[in-house]
Amino acid sequence: MKELKGIPAPDDPEAALAAVVALRRRATQLELAAVIEAVRQGWTWAQIGEALGISAQAAHKKFTPQLREPQGR
Amino acid sequence: MGLLNAVKDLRTVRQLLTKAEAEALRAGEELPGPEHLLLSALELPDGSAVRAFERVGADPSALRKAIESAHHGALAAAGFAEDEGGLEAPVERRPAPGVFRSTPQAQQVFQQAVALSKSTRPSLLRSAHVVAATCTLERGTVVRALTALGVDRARLKAAACAEVGIPG
Repeated sequence: MKELKGIPAPDDPEAALAAVVALRRRATQLELAAVIEAVRQGWTWAQIGEALGISAQAAHKKFTPQLREPQGR
Repeated sequence: MGLLNAVKDLRTVRQLLTKAEAEALRAGEELPGPEHLLLSALELPDGSAVRAFERVGADPSALRKAIESAHHGALAAAGFAEDEGGLEAPVERRPAPGVFRSTPQAQQVFQQAVALSKSTRPSLLRSAHVVAATCTLERGTVVRALTALGVDRARLKAAACAEVGIPG
């Protein structure tokens, strides 16, 4: 497999997979924080979905339950 | 199991799972994993999980920081630099409605803890059962966090089993 530039080769699978878990966790945190800010700025679920590459319905379904004050739109 | 014990057991399960879910949300994760079940177990009122940690000389209050350090260390080892704190735990979130969802590993730990509890008298789920079940895992965040705490999982499992009176 061609190595990605800037990404360490996974010659130690245990360390590499632990990094994947930590990166996924960071991505989840960043995603939610960004969606909340987008909602605060008045983005529609269609716009959020488009930015994330998912449908408006999928974005609404995924994030609305996690918001303390769900923004129905 | 008598009715009173059954009710008590249900209350313990609900406390354990609700708190695990809250721990995952607090950490900004989608689903509770074994590390969140373990954090939750350490707060259950029966106290046997805390005593199991203390039996092996580990500080239960250091587990949360050890989990964060495990993630931070994994990123650093792979060459991804970030501040020690990383992103702030983003926002207050609330659990999604509906049935409890967790990672397969957390399900495995929970089911094993329940199975262990059936072998004790009274057959009530106690927090040390969760500790013992967690210690059977061989990989993942909770294993790295316990290692970072200097905990030998076999010894911790034996201590947890001793707390609930089952062979380690």
